[in-house]
Amino acid sequence: MNTKFKSTFKQTKSMLKVDFRRMFTMPLFYIMLGASFVIPILILVMTSMMDGSVTVDPQTGAETVIEGFKNVWQIIGSTSGSSMEISIISMCNINMMFFLIAVLVCIFVADDFRSGYSKNLFTVRPTKTDYAISKIVVGFVGGASMLLAFFVGAMLGGAIAGLSFSLKGASAINVVMCIISKIFLVGIFVSIYVLASVVAKQKLWLSLLLAFGIGMLFFTMIPLITPLDCSIINVILCLVGSVLFSVGFTYLSKLILNKQDIL
Amino acid sequence: MNAIEIRNLTKNFGTKQAVAGLDMTVPVGAIYGFIGENGSGKSTTQKIICGLLKPSGGTIKLYGKDYTDVDIRSNIGVLIESPGCYPNYSVWNNLMLQATNLNIPNKEEEVRKVLKMVRMEGSASNKFKNCSLGMKQRIGVAMALIGKPKLLVLDEPINGLDADGMRIMREVLVDITQNYQCTVLVSSHILGELEKIATHYGIIRGGKMIKEMTADELEINCPTYVAIQTKDMTKAKELLKSKFSRVTEDEENNYIRIYDAENPEQIVMYLYQNNVIVTEIRTDKIGLEEYYINLMKQNKEGK
Repeated sequence: MNTKFKSTFKQTKSMLKVDFRRMFTMPLFYIMLGASFVIPILILVMTSMMDGSVTVDPQTGAETVIEGFKNVWQIIGSTSGSSMEISIISMCNINMMFFLIAVLVCIFVADDFRSGYSKNLFTVRPTKTDYAISKIVVGFVGGASMLLAFFVGAMLGGAIAGLSFSLKGASAINVVMCIISKIFLVGIFVSIYVLASVVAKQKLWLSLLLAFGIGMLFFTMIPLITPLDCSIINVILCLVGSVLFSVGFTYLSKLILNKQDIL
Repeated sequence: MNAIEIRNLTKNFGTKQAVAGLDMTVPVGAIYGFIGENGSGKSTTQKIICGLLKPSGGTIKLYGKDYTDVDIRSNIGVLIESPGCYPNYSVWNNLMLQATNLNIPNKEEEVRKVLKMVRMEGSASNKFKNCSLGMKQRIGVAMALIGKPKLLVLDEPINGLDADGMRIMREVLVDITQNYQCTVLVSSHILGELEKIATHYGIIRGGKMIKEMTADELEINCPTYVAIQTKDMTKAKELLKSKFSRVTEDEENNYIRIYDAENPEQIVMYLYQNNVIVTEIRTDKIGLEEYYINLMKQNKEGK
């Protein structure tokens, strides 16, 4: 048992090294990171330029005033109990990064199968647990980096757009916990995306379809679990959820890889 | 101990049986030429050995252990169909990744060593996708060689290679079995090339092993003969059949073959004395290709 654990640990370590090396040498990761940084700047600057402008419905003549971001923290989250109206503010925020993370993870895993590199990986990995663990860990690090890049971009974008940085109904600690909760939440989503990719193997379109489909079901819970006025309970909840999902989905991914033919 | 020992291996894809009760024994240190028609189950068997396909039944032992054993699996080098490399990565980066994958302590030195073995030192910085087919095959072998594997599983490694590429590949395979004490399971349709390096052979048909033999046994089964051509082939054949016990006609190339002639001069003299002029004479040997074709023919007729 001890020997088995040791060899699994050794194999996971080497798999992690391979995946980290790949992640940090692939252009896609840096493109995603750059996009995560630029998107909030564009959103904040453009919406603040449009803020207060009026659109007129040509048929009814009804006027609609476009409301932009009033406060930079609105792009990070809303305080619990706020109304869930559909507007630019509620749609264009840090939560949409969870879909961009799906693209990164699905391409990252599908590339193993599309290039045939999976043959090298699975020839020396009969258990496949290490493969799933490594993909989730590396996907988590990649996703967390994207969230942080978005946060930094949001701060810069807010400063450029001249938005207020004052916090209403939340403290700085709450905001830090909100970001930490969202980072932990990445674990849940990455586990789902890795499973979807393992099911789809080299079919990238299918893995994206599955990832977006299943991800959508969990997407609505993000603002509820990670409001701007997050407490330690939210952080713990996200951490526990992330660990449980990672363990459960690692097991499922391993089962699928063990049951199916790799090629 | 054998490097590979397979008993009653089966693999079904839906209703189609790709491997149907295959038995195979590959001794340690052998270069095992795995031969068969397209769709006979060679690649499927090799993929199963590498754990890339799940067998439907049977047992596989590698160096006396079950083929799923982690220790033994980390000692397999593989080149199945095409090299498993990331196309946008350089040759060097692909090999470094494989060295990382195998937990090699001195990665750079190991990568340099395998690149030298496959004569690719000058192409390390090339992107894999920009390499020629021959280069890609050699990179595939280099990937398989990293970490001094005990067992190399190569599926059609010389396909698409030019004469020089084939020679290099041949030298590499012989070199690694001699210097690495590595066992090689290699499948190929280019039997002439295989014959130059293989120490053992396995011939598969319809997912079943129909013949396993050593190179020495093949030698015994592939005798030398004297091939002659005359102006009057019918008369020559009649005369030779009356004097020698093993005379056959190679209709395709219009030759008469005599297997039990002690020396070619004896044949020329005998035919000359009977007014038949020999226009061409040579000593030749049945090769693996001919042996294989005859065996396949017999096997089909036997069915």
